[in-house]
Amino acid sequence: MKEDAGSLALSASQVSFSYEEGTCALHQVDFHAQAGEFVALLASNGSGKTTLIKVLAGLLQPQQGTVLVSGQDIRKIAATELYQRVGLVLQNPNDQLFGATVEEDVAFGPRNLGLTENEVQKRVTESLEAVAAGPLRSRAIHHLSFGEQKRVAVAGVLAMHAATLILDEPTAGLDPMGETLMMRLLNRLNREQHITIVLATHSVDMLPLFAARICVLSHGKLLKVGPPEEIFCDHDMLARASLRLPYVSRLLHELKRYDGVPINGLPLTVGEARKQLLELLPEEVLTKPELQALPRPPEEDLS
Amino acid sequence: MFDLFSDIMACRTNALTRVDSRVKLVSALAVLVAVLCSTHLALPLAVLAACLAAMLALRLPVRLTLLRLAAPAVVVLVLTVVQVFMYGVTPLWTFTLGGCTFTATVEGAWKGALLGARVFGAVSAMLLLSSVTPAHQLFHALRWLGMPKTWVEVALLMYRYVFVLLDETADVATAQRVRLGYAGVSRSLSSLGVLSGTVIVRSLDQSMRTHEAMVLRCYRGSMPFGPLPVLGRKERWLLLLVPLAMAGLCCLAECLGRPQ
Repeated sequence: MKEDAGSLALSASQVSFSYEEGTCALHQVDFHAQAGEFVALLASNGSGKTTLIKVLAGLLQPQQGTVLVSGQDIRKIAATELYQRVGLVLQNPNDQLFGATVEEDVAFGPRNLGLTENEVQKRVTESLEAVAAGPLRSRAIHHLSFGEQKRVAVAGVLAMHAATLILDEPTAGLDPMGETLMMRLLNRLNREQHITIVLATHSVDMLPLFAARICVLSHGKLLKVGPPEEIFCDHDMLARASLRLPYVSRLLHELKRYDGVPINGLPLTVGEARKQLLELLPEEVLTKPELQALPRPPEEDLS
Repeated sequence: MFDLFSDIMACRTNALTRVDSRVKLVSALAVLVAVLCSTHLALPLAVLAACLAAMLALRLPVRLTLLRLAAPAVVVLVLTVVQVFMYGVTPLWTFTLGGCTFTATVEGAWKGALLGARVFGAVSAMLLLSSVTPAHQLFHALRWLGMPKTWVEVALLMYRYVFVLLDETADVATAQRVRLGYAGVSRSLSSLGVLSGTVIVRSLDQSMRTHEAMVLRCYRGSMPFGPLPVLGRKERWLLLLVPLAMAGLCCLAECLGRPQ
């Protein structure tokens, strides 16, 4: 169920949510994601990002504010329709993978939609191929590695053909290579299948490469929204949110060392790094067209 | 602990894993019924020997097989002791302990041996079945055999999450052990209580999170199962012949074992 590019895929306005024991998890939060956009919700632990994504996915009802999916109030959308528009990938794949085998788990959603067995199998094949998990098809879930489980969890949601994919800490618990693979996979889904990606994370290092827009959340409030250059220029704001600057220099050093990207002189700022990447990285690594049109970043030394 | 419950051995490729799970299930059930109905030692012992030989031939780890047979062995021991001393009239051996006289009987010894052989024969048949059939295939075979879908769904979820909870239990137990939670009897008992409580709470948490994930994929109260593969001609013949063969063997064992 794809959305028109540029239209509002998901939005929340003035959303507040408190748990029964009194913890105020969200306070008048505004959020939106346009169709085909790659948005990151950046926040430290306990800042309310999981609550916000559960609200966005319709699992929690906010006490105040409204959530719109494709312009329609989430409360007025039937569950079957809602979850074909919005898919949620939970942080721990064990919560999400309940089928006995990979194939059965990925087929769970399509079968619940009442699709024919041919269509179910087609979706299973497509989804597994999209996350490079085709060879895992007949494996039992409890025999998979953590990274494989994460990819299969994404495949299970992809099989619902949701136009928007919300992911809670998709790189948590993965090794550095697994993190990179997961982020590149999400980037590919965003680019090739035009799936709107909303990613909640506290991992700052990968975001400048992949996210078009970052929303920083702290103590249930939205601190700042903007492109990575703007967000990672505001050191004080990041410190207030218990976050830090990305290891940009380190990342580019690794790219030079292992991928042979000819970076001469390590950049000291996010802006410098992005400029060098745009000049040097091949299209398949960094292909977001909107990045080409980004304004020149400020010159401060941020590393 | 993981190995004890895992079906990882059943995921290997060998002559028996290639057989349709429904054929294996029906055959195992036929063997089970024959062993349980047997009134002589021959058939259960033959089944035990055949199953152990098959497991050895399939290169299943001997230690794992013995470990899996350990629990039924305890049951057999208790059963045999009870039968030897509580059943029959012909004395075999008498001894006195703490002023009480205990008499083992010939009939009791035979009955204990028969019960023990039945338990070992039946358990070995089930062990062989679980060693050559992945759990999910077994549950789907049970569905084909008429087990209610809800039971199959619950069984599949239980089997899926038993490993998650085992991991959780192991983690909590380790955390307790490294902080001397098992030093001394009273501390051990207290730690065991906390461990049990923690596992129950975590399993409840896990069930809620899993339910949320199921709802996100349009779960409406029952798990949708895919179609089972069509049985081939060979499998259909096997489904007919194996129970008949077991019935024949059972009759043969009865005839041969009947007192003249």
